This record gives sequence, structure tokens and C-alpha cells, in this order.
Amino acid sequence: MLLIRAIVRQEKSQVVMKALFESGYVAVTRMPVVGRGKQRGLKIGNVVYDELPKDLLMMVIKDEDKEFCIRTIMDAARTGEKGAFGDGKIFVTPVEEAYTISRGTKEL
Amino acid sequence: MKLIIAIIRINKMNETKKALADVGLHSFMATGSVFGRGKGKYDAKVIKGANENVPEAIALLGPEPPLRTHRMITLVVPQKKKDLAVQTLIEANRTDTPGDGKIFVINCFDAIRIRTGESGDSVLD
Repeated sequence: MLLIRAIVRQEKSQVVMKALFESGYVAVTRMPVVGRGKQRGLKIGNVVYDELPKDLLMMVIKDEDKEFCIRTIMDAARTGEKGAFGDGKIFVTPVEEAYTISRGTKEL
Repeated sequence: MKLIIAIIRINKMNETKKALADVGLHSFMATGSVFGRGKGKYDAKVIKGANENVPEAIALLGPEPPLRTHRMITLVVPQKKKDLAVQTLIEANRTDTPGDGKIFVINCFDAIRIRTGESGDSVLD
């Protein structure tokens, strides 16, 4: 199993979640986060904004779904044809075990 | 050491805190409110069809389900306390109805106490 954490623009998180839903990846968790990237935030005049609000989407999927799921998130979260700075990042972490609390079983 | 991420109901927070403290796991981090949805009541065939972009399967999924507010608990425990932590979380939160949440266990390589700079398992006690 793999934990996928995608940091996307807040206005794009609805689009990404809809795309994931229509691809059959229904289970997903969203939380608001703030942060900056390689461009050191936004500089407008003399003011630097380095705590830009984003949405963090978190989901755990099977190993074989990785490529498809990442492609779905990437296509939905990109702005314009080529993408733009600030579109976000996707991180993948291996998960050793997953438990469902309502059944008390060790499965996704 | 293991990083445990648990997504639980908000109204089970007090019971979870008490249960964790009772077995000696005092330190954890909670993220105020996270919004999410689960797998829902879908047939495995429908999910498989949607993964393969079959239009009939996508139509069977219906409208997007609403997002529920949950709470996320993150705790780092030593290897030998992993099963204890997972069992405690399951027992404290289980109501036998869908929506109770999930627990994920991830390998954690190191932990460092900022105050002293020491690292290793002794940080977690």
C-alpha cells in the first residue's frame, strides 16, 4: 500500500476530488495547509508572501494503482496547458499496515 | 519506530485520549479537523470499472458523497508498542458502523528531541 499526499491549489482541490471520484478512488481526506515552495513564496512589490494557503489531499491506495492515480491527480491539478509555479507537489510513502476501525480488521 | 496516522470521529476524541494515556502512550499530535470521505457502499466491480474508465460504471457511482469532518491523530511509537497502540485505538473508537475511520502504520526512521538534540528510541519515552 502507498500513502499519497498531494499538495494542490485550494481552488483546484474540488476538481481533483471530482476526478478521483470518477476514476473510482472514492476514499480521500482533505486538510488546509500553508507553505512555500522553491520560488520562496510570492513577492509583490516589497512584500513577500511565504505562507501560501494550499490543500493537502491524503489517500492510501494499492501498489498497482500508483501510476494511474498520480496521473489522475496531475492532470486535474495542473493549471493551463504547461502548468504554472504553485501547482503543488505529490509525495508517495510506503504504508506497512492499514486497519479499518469499524470492522477491526487489518485491510484497506 | 513506527508513525501511526489515525483518522477518527471527533466525538470519540476524549475517549481516545483517555485510552491512550491509560496504556502509557501520552504524547501524540492531533490535527483539528480534516475533511474526508470513505469508500462508500460500492460494489468492487463498479470501482474496477471506474478505474478502467467504463462510462456505465462511472454513472453507477452517482453524485459525489459529502465530506465529513474527522480528526487526525499522529503518533510515533517504538516498534514493540505498535500493536498496543493500534489495538487501543481500535477499541476506543469502534462503534461497528461505517465511518469509524482508518489507521495507517508507516515506518519512521528517526526521531530527534529538539531541546537536547538527542535521537533514537529514548526520545519517545
